This record gives sequence, structure tokens and C-alpha cells, in this order.
Amino acid sequence: MEVSLAAPAAEPRPKIAVEKLVQSFGALTVIDRMSLSVAEGEFLAIIGPSGCGKSTLLRVLAGLVSPTSGRVRIDGVDVDGPDPRRHLVFQEHALYPWRTVYKNVALGLEIERENAQKIKRKVTGLLALVGLEPFAQYYPHQLSGGMRQRAALARALAVEPDVLLLDEPFGALDAMTRLTLQDELLRIWLHSGKTVVLVTHDVEEALFLADRVLIMTTVPGRIREIIPVGEKRPRDRGSANLAALKRTVLGILGLEPVIGNVRVPDTNFSI
Amino acid sequence: MAERAGTAEAVARPEAHRGWFDGFVRVLPYAVAFASILLGWQLAALLFPSYLIPPPRKVFLRVIEELGRRSFLVTVGRSFYRLAVGFTLASALGLAIGLFCGIWQFFRRTVRALVAILQSVPPIAWVPLFIVLLGFGDAPIILVIIIAAFFPMTVSVMNAVEQVEALHVDVARVLGADRAQLVAKVYAPAVIPAIVTGAQVGFGNAWRSLIAAEMVGGVNVGLGWFINFAGEIADMTAVLAGIFVIGVFSALLDGLVLERLKRRLLKWKYL
Repeated sequence: MEVSLAAPAAEPRPKIAVEKLVQSFGALTVIDRMSLSVAEGEFLAIIGPSGCGKSTLLRVLAGLVSPTSGRVRIDGVDVDGPDPRRHLVFQEHALYPWRTVYKNVALGLEIERENAQKIKRKVTGLLALVGLEPFAQYYPHQLSGGMRQRAALARALAVEPDVLLLDEPFGALDAMTRLTLQDELLRIWLHSGKTVVLVTHDVEEALFLADRVLIMTTVPGRIREIIPVGEKRPRDRGSANLAALKRTVLGILGLEPVIGNVRVPDTNFSI
Repeated sequence: MAERAGTAEAVARPEAHRGWFDGFVRVLPYAVAFASILLGWQLAALLFPSYLIPPPRKVFLRVIEELGRRSFLVTVGRSFYRLAVGFTLASALGLAIGLFCGIWQFFRRTVRALVAILQSVPPIAWVPLFIVLLGFGDAPIILVIIIAAFFPMTVSVMNAVEQVEALHVDVARVLGADRAQLVAKVYAPAVIPAIVTGAQVGFGNAWRSLIAAEMVGGVNVGLGWFINFAGEIADMTAVLAGIFVIGVFSALLDGLVLERLKRRLLKWKYL
């Protein structure tokens, strides 16, 4: 590894810097010359049509796939291979069915060869954080989808990553559970100051959580537009500002924004 | 204000409790099966003279008598010795080759072809060749057992390694697992069910081939030999006593030892 002798740069260096990233599988180009930077502690949401390379981008950031060309740097260091400091939480629930919830959350710590006492203290604390304490000794198939995703989140937090990559973490959940988990993710993020990149296909989710919403084009994936959401969190899901932004985003995605013309919760109109 | 879903998530299934009634329900089918065999046997014994089909009572008494005789215990012991050596070697070999083939695709294809060819030959057909090659004694019988028990283990483990979920591997990689940790924390637990299945099927094969090989293998000790010899001197009581011992032993080994081991190793599947 190279040791940098240069003095720390005056300008804050981006946490994640993607430069002219190209990712292709055989003849298919999934990501085409994408450049992007994410600031330390930022919450970035990525939305786009399915198959636009959103998940691939996360896999590249996680170091599971090496880029075809271009550079991906985190903290100024080129990404080559996975690193527990960047954690990817997968789309499907990816808990190990042969491990209890407790052992699943402990997985990363076991891999880091932490001692049993520290593992116990940490895992117990995290299970409390995500509200799974009573279910520590249950196996994944005994839990509901929301509980499994909470466990996956706890497993991610256990290794204290400074970058959290979330690949449609709540996509498979019912609407109610999804809202609850969004609140919890927000609460955890507000307390931790981690850098988060969230891939989602839920526009409201993106607008509710993120500092900026990145909209991608269809394959080959490029950046279509980046929309800043300049509102303090926790946000009001029904605010006029979010509704307007949602209309904009849906418009960019080419979807007819029905909600705007029919019923916007905070509009003051009288009949 | 954001709406909280609160308790919308399904409550996890509590652990099933097992009382005496569940135990009774579990044992009942076996009891019925056993009783129907006895009934059929008793009916046949009424129709035929007792030197052709001796009644159950007579055979039970003979079993007890034989169990008190040293030469019979030696015979049973020798059969178990052959079974233990053959089955252990076959399982170890099958496991090693199965794991190996699961990882290297070239070997997988070769071994699949080999298995397809060799498995169509009943193991017992090798006996004359092995006797000429290895001489009379335990060696040809053990070799037949190895051939019989080796295939199920190999195929089962090979398939399981192939089917280890890429997602489960990625999770461990993201957490920074090295090669050894991938094997210990992902591959091994994912393959254990297949090892148990392979062992169970292999054990059935081994046991059948053991008796058959002892009957035709030119040995003068062993359960198969005992039945064969009794048949030659038209001692049907001894033939049935031998069959009875074989049936009871294999049912006990499979039902009590292997099945319990399986439930213990695969606790997460049966909860």
C-alpha cells in the first residue's frame, strides 16, 4: 500500500469519488462513464428504471466487482476488493438460515476475530437498537420479513462501517413495515453520521431520507439528474415541498404524476 | 408527522412444544408397520409347514438363543466391523471428492460421467473380480461396501457445493472473510444437510451390499454368510432369525442414530 506523505488537502476530500466508471459484462455495458462524488456523512439515494445498473454500481462501490474502466476511490484510496468499512446490505434478505439472529448479527465480528465478550456486548446492544432483543435465539425462517431486514441492518452496523451501501433494503416489505424501517434507518443515520448510498425504486423513500436524489437513465446507466432535497430531517412525508419534488422526479422518469392534480395533503383549497 | 406502523409486523412463530402425544404420533406408524409384518408372517406360517416357514415365536426364541452363543456374536461383530470400515472410508472419500468436484468444474463433469457409468453396475457384481485380485477375506467385501456407499455421498456433496448461494458468499466477502473463513462459515454449514443425506443413503446401500457380499463372497463368518449357510442346510428358523437381526439392527441404526444426528445437526431446519 502506498503511504501518502502529502499534507491533508485544504478542501474536504469526497468520501466516495467515482470517475468515468464504465462497467460492462461481455458486450453489455451496464454503467457508462459515470462520475460522482459523495461527501462524508451524506445520504445519497439512487433511483432509476429497473436494470439500469443501480445494483451494479453498489457492487462496484462494495468492491465485489472491479470496474471495467475508470476509478472508484473511497477516502482517496482505490477500491480493490471488499472491506468491512464499506458494508453492502443486500436486496433479498441474506441472513444465513443456519444461524440464529444473534449469530447472524455476530457474523462480521467473528470474521474480524473479535473476542467473545466484545461480540456479546456489541450484538446485544445492536439487537436492542433494532428492537430484536427478544428474538435473539430465533432462526431467520421464524421471523417476518421486516424483522429479517432489521437483523440484516444490525449485522451491517456491527462491523461499524463508515459507508453503508443499501440495495433496495426495504423493497420486499409491505408498505407499513417499510415506513417503520425508513424511520428507524433515519434515526440510526442521524446518530451515526455514516455515509449512506441507498438504491431504491421508491421515489417517496428517496425524498424522505436523502440529501440528494440521483436519477439514472436506462441501460447503459448514466446520471440523468441529481436533485438536492434541501429540507431538514426528520421530514414530513406529506409536505408540499416533497410532493412537488416527487412530481418533478416522476416527470423526469417519464411517469405521469397523478397525485399532484388529484390530492395534495397540504394544499389549502376550499370547495 | 410520519406515520408509524408500529406493530404491523407479524409475530414470530413460537417454538413448537413436543409432549408425549407428539412422541406417540411419531412412533405409531412404525408400530403399525411392524405389526403388519408380524401378522403376514404369522398367517404364512399357518399355511406352510414349519420347516418351510417357522412362526415368529420360534424365530424369536432362536434369536435369543443365538445371541447367547459366542460364534453368533463373532459373526455379527465381524459384519459390523466390515460395515464400519467400508462405510467410514466411503463417506470420507465421497466427501473429499464431492467437495473437490464442487469447486473445480472440470472434475465435476468427469466425475458425473464416471458416476453415471459405474452406478449402473450393482456393487455385488464386482465380487468375483475382487476375490481374484485380493483373495478371500474382509478386503473384497469392504471394497464392495465402499463402492456402494461412495456414490450417494459424492453426488450429494457435489450438488450442494454447486448450489451454495452466491448471495451468502457475497455477504461473507463484504464482511471481509478470507478463503478459510468462507469455507468455515459459508460452505461447510451450507453443505452439512447434503452430507447427512449422503450418509443416510450411503448407509442403506452399504448395509445391503454388506449382506449380499457376505453371501457370495466366500467368507465363513458374517451375517450374510450365516443366512446363506443356514439356507444350505435347510435351517429356515436360522435364516429368518438372521433376517430378523438384520432388519432390527438397520432400523435401529437408521432411525435412532442417523436420524437423531440429522435432527441435531440441522436443528435450524426442524424448528
